[in-house]
Amino acid sequence: MNSYIPWLIIIIKAFLILFVTLTLAAYMVLAERKLLARMQDRYGPNRVGPFGLLQPLADVIKLITKEDILPAQADRFIYLIAPGVVAGTVLLTFAVVPFGAPVKIGGVTVQMPVIDLNVGALYFLAMSSLGVYGVALAGWSSGSKYSLFGGIRGSAQMISYELSMGLALVPVVMLTGSFSLNDIVAAQSNVPFVVYSPLAFVIFLVSVAAESRRIPFDLAEAENELVAGYHTEYSGMRFGLFYIGEYVNIIVLSALAVTFYLGGWHGPGPSWLSLFWFFLKAAAIAFFFIWMRATLPRLRYDQLMHLGWKFLVPLSLANVLLTGFLALIFHWRNV
Amino acid sequence: MNAIIFYLLSAAAVFSTLMAISRRELIHAVVYLVLSFFSLGLIFFMMGAPLIAALEVLIYAGAIMVLFLFIVMMLEMGAAKIPLTPFWKVWGPAVVIAAVILFSMSLLFLGTPQTPLSPMTAFISPRQFGQALYTKYYLAVEAASLLLLFALVGALYLGKRDNP
Amino acid sequence: MMPPFSYVLVLSAILFGLGVVCVAVRRNLIMILIGVEIIINAAGLAFVAGSLRWNMPDGQIFVLFLAAMAASEVSVGLAMIVYLHRRKKTVNIDHFDEMKG
Repeated sequence: MNSYIPWLIIIIKAFLILFVTLTLAAYMVLAERKLLARMQDRYGPNRVGPFGLLQPLADVIKLITKEDILPAQADRFIYLIAPGVVAGTVLLTFAVVPFGAPVKIGGVTVQMPVIDLNVGALYFLAMSSLGVYGVALAGWSSGSKYSLFGGIRGSAQMISYELSMGLALVPVVMLTGSFSLNDIVAAQSNVPFVVYSPLAFVIFLVSVAAESRRIPFDLAEAENELVAGYHTEYSGMRFGLFYIGEYVNIIVLSALAVTFYLGGWHGPGPSWLSLFWFFLKAAAIAFFFIWMRATLPRLRYDQLMHLGWKFLVPLSLANVLLTGFLALIFHWRNV
Repeated sequence: MNAIIFYLLSAAAVFSTLMAISRRELIHAVVYLVLSFFSLGLIFFMMGAPLIAALEVLIYAGAIMVLFLFIVMMLEMGAAKIPLTPFWKVWGPAVVIAAVILFSMSLLFLGTPQTPLSPMTAFISPRQFGQALYTKYYLAVEAASLLLLFALVGALYLGKRDNP
Repeated sequence: MMPPFSYVLVLSAILFGLGVVCVAVRRNLIMILIGVEIIINAAGLAFVAGSLRWNMPDGQIFVLFLAAMAASEVSVGLAMIVYLHRRKKTVNIDHFDEMKG
């Protein structure tokens, strides 16, 4: 009996996560605009609803009702699917994020991630590497020079920083002895990995910031050089998909930084508080990204490449060596 | 159930590969090939190789094909001016030969006793994979790393601007 | 229930054949490299199927080495294509038919 219940649970979880994530992304936009405004001595959006709380709704309505323009030069098919690739790969990453302790509903233990892959960390890397296609194809298919440059820059940047991001995950996998995100969180029940390998955390944050193509790493859409980079030609809801992709990306990357380094959903108090702890930690990281956007100037393209290849990659390799060495000496491996 | 998924995935892989090799637009070929690698990755996942499935997407789709895409975009050969050769001149013989090879291979494979694969017994976890890799094949790992190093040096030398 | 081993091999053979056709027929250097990628992947599929058939990790390990080989082949190959394109402004293989530079 009940062979369909696991499937049902998976489908419910997937829909719930999709709904919550998209709503969070919309409010992430509002939070960023508000915070940026405060940091720049402005008010930010405050006209629609109390404190501007309905602003995301208004934005969505505006985007949906706008005309969806297809440039004459564009490669029709690829132009139409590229935004979906950007948003889709980011949303798919959420499938493996464990954002709370397992809960028991009517005798069935429900794990929080939609699927607990035994190669979860690699799945995340694979999905983020597929995200490159969205950027590169959008840039190429628009048939505009600005878009093409944005696409080339964006894809080069993302390939470069994927390396250091992957290498920053190696200490975590070494200390856990597993790629599964559930195991990684379980291994941090006492001490989060940021204590064991703070350097990896810093490298991961920088690489992730570059991977999400935001200031100070927004070379792919640098507005004073490339108009809007790879999504110059897009309008309406297709532009909205890029926007959703960007903000869901911030959420998912913050969530993964928490999962890999800050102990996941572990925290003081009863287990039902785990969702709250996870949300709090992820919000802190997301706030850090917004803060960085308000503070730092954009890098030059060669500086970006130098930072990636000549600094972060060697540093993360050295960090892998160092963490392995220390783990051997102090018997850190807890599996 | 698994068999149906396998047939669907293999149909997707064959179709996208077919589309990939027949496109004039290089970018389209690359996109179709990514789809083909993706379905191959899923087939690997079904066949008890989750690590290889992840690496297939990560390395082939995520790195190698991006490299192709990057070069095509950089050289701006998007609309390649190279015509497809007339069908009977080159395509004909190649297709005939490929069909003959394929036919004989299929006959050979299908003629041998059919051994059904059992997915669960041969499930190889990343841990087993790593253990086998670094105990039995450590020399091969070294050789592969040397190969990659040579490729790096070679690519750097070829890519140098002031080449004679 | 999985399909029989030989079916997987047939799929691998079909992909291999498609790769060979691509290498033999296309005149674009980049498409030839793509054909080689298809061939390597078809071989990888056969290896993984064998690994499942005999319940050994060795086949999967060879796929890893195949990936390393494919990566190095592609990086050198593409560097050569960029170099040739810089010299002759074309990637049509018919234009590289003389031995002198």
